[in-house]
Amino acid sequence: MTDAFDVVVVGAGHAGCEAAVACARLGLDTALVTVTLADSAKMSCNPAIGGIAKGHMVREIDALGGVMGLITDRAGIQFKMLNRGRGQAVWSPRAQCDKAGYAAAMSALLDGVAGLTRLAGVVNHVRLERGAVAAIELDDGRRVACRAAVITPGTFLNGLIHIGAAQIAGGRIGEHAARALSECLAELGLERGRLKTGTPPRLHRDSIAWDRATPQPGDDPPRPFSHWTERLDVDQVPCHLTHTNERTHAVIRRNLDRSPLYSGAIRGAGPRYCPSLEDKVVKFPERAAHHVFLEPEGRDVPEIYVNGVSSSMPAEVQLEFVRTIPALEQAEMLRPGYAVEYDFVLPHQLAATLEVRGVPGLFLAGQICGTSGYEEAAAQGLIAGINAAHRVLGRAPFVLRRDQAYLGVLVDDLVTREHREPYRMFTSAAEHRLLLRADNADERLAEIGHALGLVTQEQIERVRAKCAALDAEERRLTRITVAVAADSAAPAPGTPAADGTATAPARRVRALDLLARAGGSWDGLREAGVDCDLPREWADCLEIRVRYRGYIERERETAARAAALEAATLAPALWDSDLKGVSREAREKLVRWRPASVGQASRIAGVSPADIAVLLVHARRAAPDGAARARAGAEAAVVGPSAARAAARSGVTGRA
Amino acid sequence: MTQLGDTITAIATARGAAGLAVVRMSGPEALAIADRVFRGTARIGDAPTHTLHHGWAADDALDAPIDAPIDAPMDAPIDAQRIDEVVVAVFRAPRSYTKEDVVEFSCHGGALSAERLLAAMIASGARLAAPGEFTLRAFLNGRIDLAQAEAVADVIAAETNAAHALAVSQLAGALSREIGALGERVADALAEVEARVDFAEDVGGVEVPAHVRAAIADVAAALAAWLAASPYARAIRDGARVPLVGRPNAGKSSLFNALLGEPRAIVTPAPGTTRDRVSEAIELAGMRVTLSDTAGLRETDDAIEAIGVARTHAAIASAAATLWVVDASQPLAPEDHAIAAVLGARPLLVALNKSDRPRRVAPGDVERLLDGGPRAIVAVSALAGDGIDALAAALAALLGAGPHASEDGASSGPATGAIAMAVSNPRHVAALDRARAALLGAASAADGGAPGEIVALELRASLAALGEVTGRSVDADLLDRIFSRFCVGK
Repeated sequence: MTDAFDVVVVGAGHAGCEAAVACARLGLDTALVTVTLADSAKMSCNPAIGGIAKGHMVREIDALGGVMGLITDRAGIQFKMLNRGRGQAVWSPRAQCDKAGYAAAMSALLDGVAGLTRLAGVVNHVRLERGAVAAIELDDGRRVACRAAVITPGTFLNGLIHIGAAQIAGGRIGEHAARALSECLAELGLERGRLKTGTPPRLHRDSIAWDRATPQPGDDPPRPFSHWTERLDVDQVPCHLTHTNERTHAVIRRNLDRSPLYSGAIRGAGPRYCPSLEDKVVKFPERAAHHVFLEPEGRDVPEIYVNGVSSSMPAEVQLEFVRTIPALEQAEMLRPGYAVEYDFVLPHQLAATLEVRGVPGLFLAGQICGTSGYEEAAAQGLIAGINAAHRVLGRAPFVLRRDQAYLGVLVDDLVTREHREPYRMFTSAAEHRLLLRADNADERLAEIGHALGLVTQEQIERVRAKCAALDAEERRLTRITVAVAADSAAPAPGTPAADGTATAPARRVRALDLLARAGGSWDGLREAGVDCDLPREWADCLEIRVRYRGYIERERETAARAAALEAATLAPALWDSDLKGVSREAREKLVRWRPASVGQASRIAGVSPADIAVLLVHARRAAPDGAARARAGAEAAVVGPSAARAAARSGVTGRA
Repeated sequence: MTQLGDTITAIATARGAAGLAVVRMSGPEALAIADRVFRGTARIGDAPTHTLHHGWAADDALDAPIDAPIDAPMDAPIDAQRIDEVVVAVFRAPRSYTKEDVVEFSCHGGALSAERLLAAMIASGARLAAPGEFTLRAFLNGRIDLAQAEAVADVIAAETNAAHALAVSQLAGALSREIGALGERVADALAEVEARVDFAEDVGGVEVPAHVRAAIADVAAALAAWLAASPYARAIRDGARVPLVGRPNAGKSSLFNALLGEPRAIVTPAPGTTRDRVSEAIELAGMRVTLSDTAGLRETDDAIEAIGVARTHAAIASAAATLWVVDASQPLAPEDHAIAAVLGARPLLVALNKSDRPRRVAPGDVERLLDGGPRAIVAVSALAGDGIDALAAALAALLGAGPHASEDGASSGPATGAIAMAVSNPRHVAALDRARAALLGAASAADGGAPGEIVALELRASLAALGEVTGRSVDADLLDRIFSRFCVGK
């Protein structure tokens, strides 16, 4: 074991694992430090990966060469495409996972990555030399030299657990809290805040009356998460659904003064999209019932995760309300739910590379940046890891635009907006939602991952084959025409109807147009005599591409206009000038956020178009080549010329 | 939002009375958009740089034959689309003020021609320029050097402050409240749709429920009503021009004087006495109405009089409404038929003059000559002063100062009064029109069974357009709306 690495990743959660694997695969000598090696990639809360918008991000991580999708396919015990009743752009995959299996699969993968060293220890300090990251120090006095560090402490950063009135220091129940590291970040001048999240109680599988809950099976056949998984061979396990009732809510109301959320003991802001049962009952008193999902934490473990009743009430109150729920009347509680407060670094202090501004080599990812969720963490881990590697290698920053990926939306939202609660991804956060689909993540991002060096030659060949097959099928359907009844959207065989009257005179339309129209489907085409040989997933891709072509084009046009503003970079020196003519409110915000581009500046609340116009003048004065850069368009925003070409081929400028 | 690389347009000359107004356009589409508005012998897209081209501007010149005669444009048939006679100057990139393709339309002075021209440019794809934006482009493209640029920020700030002061004075009032309330309803509709997209497990059912569709339709109807009232709003601010037409000696000049309350035009019994327009403004229901006495419309061999007749045609084409004076003491003549044909379906007020004499023309006789379109018919005696007040009231109503109905006939939304008056800024009118179009898009997407994210896309476009009027951003509080309305998340 050496005591010097190119990059040290602190914390082996979902962010840390992605960061470490990316750095090592980019050829850097990488260390991944965590307290307990076996706890790497531990799923601290719910036993599922993906979900609406989150599943999109996992697909993107996968297309860029990250590992979360592959591990999910290995550890998944139930796969489901959510939102199937909605438009295809917001179909999103989710998998229930075997928690132990997930951690084990990740450990096995980490052990097989060349150049990656796993260290056990508690990191207390980040040391700088000449203003840049030079080493990290462990609590046992070890010093590990490095040229870049990615800090991913999750809820451990000064974590404080609440169960009723009891307060226990720690990031997870029974584990430690990283206090010294948080103080170290404060000493580096970083402004910190406090957030809160929570987890529900776990029940014993054998104490649940399963026949009183509604089974929720997975999809058949299951669709893999990863683009690189050929086929899933999995014996799926069902989840179950039950509901709270007025008795449950009465228990909550009677004990409200014992909840630290309502006693004032918790200061940190919790996520509104992940409310505790206390919150649900108080804020929506008219609701007589709330969903409760019973999710197994693994195939062969007794723990059942009770999704929907996150709580920080005392354990005896939790047990009391749990037992009012149908199927849970005799439930035995293995662990109570709890709330955890932790420190985070206000993310306006970060660049879009997730590097701390003003501290070269110091990267942050995951909950420390104010997010919540495994997928959000992994996404940032990948971005931070790639950029840490690029920092060491002297390569250009890697930044994805908002129209390229949810990952771009995530990072941009973090570094340009004000945050009052843990940030979670929603599809509504993406203004170019029709472009950013789970089905086309590979078309959008695999070439970029390949140019980065994270997607293999074999993998990229597969993506190119898919793109070619879709294009060929689209051309074929343009050439074929089928007969349809003149007065109907349905294809008509042109034969007399059963009652003897002739159908309306048939006319011929292109098969592609038949697929594109509302109500069109591959089944409809098949009835009209046109078969499609594409695999089901690819067929879905083509269908959405042709059906929403007009809207997709519209989004692409707005994206192209927005991209020009992203490419217009703003020099940091600008923020130290007088910014004459910019309104005072905008000036205060701009100096705080120090946006790197005109696009970023325009998204900061309080900065008006007129402020932007004046800003452009200042930018042009500060950097005479600014106008040329402003005109350069989208290319400058991605990693380099080759990746820019790749993006043009595969991304928003190339195809749907 | 600030954008680079699109095509912008604005009126370049000062507002107010002047002989000439210039509407300027800059950007990659400037030449193409010019061709959608310009009707002349040359195509602007083919024109060399630094050349001038004479012709007509029309609301949709593409519909017009490209070889329409322009040598004697005053004799060309009048149509509703025609805006004004123009001279177009072409400056190709990089030899222009902004170093982009620039086209400048010079038209007749006064607000109406230039504003219609501006509206036509916007309808054809240009974007209304933000304050200082031409200067900004000139600067960014390196057309202005650093020394000159010292002033650019000040220019933008000053113009913005002026625009802001104007906006504040409007926004402080009813416009802000009313547009804001509409924006609230659209944002609520968006939250309803987004909640069903992002939280399908918690908020089930159809993505665009009936109450959301109803809200979308309501807001679209309210915007339509305001837009219908906006010509009146412009008339409040910039005034409306109303030419008086009629066959010679029908009493136009007498009626003109009666409306003005003092003798102004030359009145003699000899037909054709009025050789040129005489204009005078009156205050009518808060509007500045410029009445212009015109020469007749009869065909003539007299060269001087012919010019006057041609100008009358032009005046009708650019007018908010026309006052047709009919001599009701004599049967309708072939000349009256010709005038009726010229007037077509344009907003029209008919004065059955000389009501002090035995009546030979009934309102129905006039009606039968006309095509339809908004009109009122009033009997007056210019000489005796009878019916003048009724005529003025009818004119005010015709110009919009009265109960309004939206395009589809629904009377939802406050179509009159303060709101309609406030929607007088062309920038606001353009934004509200886009907001309405996007709502119609949302409604038709929902009706066509399109998924929620498509409906949401249109609703966002609508909110963005409303935000240009109120200055509020689209998505700032989307999650707040969702979380306050729905119990979502687990």
